Amino acid sequence: MRTSGVAKRPVVTLDGEAVAQLKDVVFAAGGGAVGGFTLAGRGLFSGPLKESLPWSSVLALGSDAVMIAGEDSLAPAQDLLDASASSGGSGGNVLGSQVLTDSGTDLGTVRDVIIEVGGAAEGSCAVIGYEITTSGALEHKGMGHKGATLLIPLPDTVAASGEHLIVPASAVDFVGNDLAGFGASVEAFRAQLGGRA
Amino acid sequence: MMRFSDADGRKIVSTSSAETVGKVSGFVVDPVTRSVIAVQVRRADDGDTLRWPQVVAFGSDAVTVEAASAITEADDEVTALLGKDHRLVGKRVLSTAGDELGTLTDVEFDGASGSVTRLLLADNDEIAGVRLRGVGSYAVVVTAE
Repeated sequence: MRTSGVAKRPVVTLDGEAVAQLKDVVFAAGGGAVGGFTLAGRGLFSGPLKESLPWSSVLALGSDAVMIAGEDSLAPAQDLLDASASSGGSGGNVLGSQVLTDSGTDLGTVRDVIIEVGGAAEGSCAVIGYEITTSGALEHKGMGHKGATLLIPLPDTVAASGEHLIVPASAVDFVGNDLAGFGASVEAFRAQLGGRA
Repeated sequence: MMRFSDADGRKIVSTSSAETVGKVSGFVVDPVTRSVIAVQVRRADDGDTLRWPQVVAFGSDAVTVEAASAITEADDEVTALLGKDHRLVGKRVLSTAGDELGTLTDVEFDGASGSVTRLLLADNDEIAGVRLRGVGSYAVVVTAE
């Protein structure tokens, strides 16, 4: 299952209570896998929460809500961030970060992430792309004027610091602007990276 | 089978005095047992809650009780469910897979046992009552198929 628009997705218990909304994604150990999510309170003026949602506590990530068993599925945010930081993860600062290619071009800032949830057997969840607000760097390729939204496919491991997110320069050739064809773009992109290695 | 929309406003009659002792104004559903555990009552003298075991019969024209004393103030169990914003109708329906299925428009229940038999959605969709998982202030949660 592929999903975009993770930010602001409500977190709902099986009792039907919305306890939070997703704020940002936290990468797990040095790869594209999702370790969990930081949370914000629900409502216009609510800020970030001290609790976070580890991926292991997510029952389902659907198109309209993230389902959890109950409020005790949430864990202190610091635990999740520490686990991520000690393994080279991003510390929950993916949204809003600058996307740089490994050749040094600023592509834009991350608006949202595109996530793929593996089969029930695997139970994993990976970030396969970034939805970015472009800097205009790709305008000469006919891919979006400054401020447009584009989708960038990711390799199966990513480098993320909380300041920058690095993507291979060749990702530029697989940029798209609609989610429908995005899965194919990611596969083509990863196949190309794999072939080169 | 009866629906919440049909039963709303139905009179509650005492079989001992033959008087109308109140009117149905709502239902309290326990999502754990997937059944109606109490009827909310208006225009009654003493209280606003009719516990399901006190109902003699849930008929198509009237709900019968033995006496007006069957209607009481809400007890702890009912209050706990009411406090969670218990209303089902009008709420969004979420599956346990996190997908929104629609808006709940009506609930069908068994007049004899109080069991919720079907959840009715806009667009004539319906969900079997056994799939009911939870009723909260944000959504009604049902088991994904």
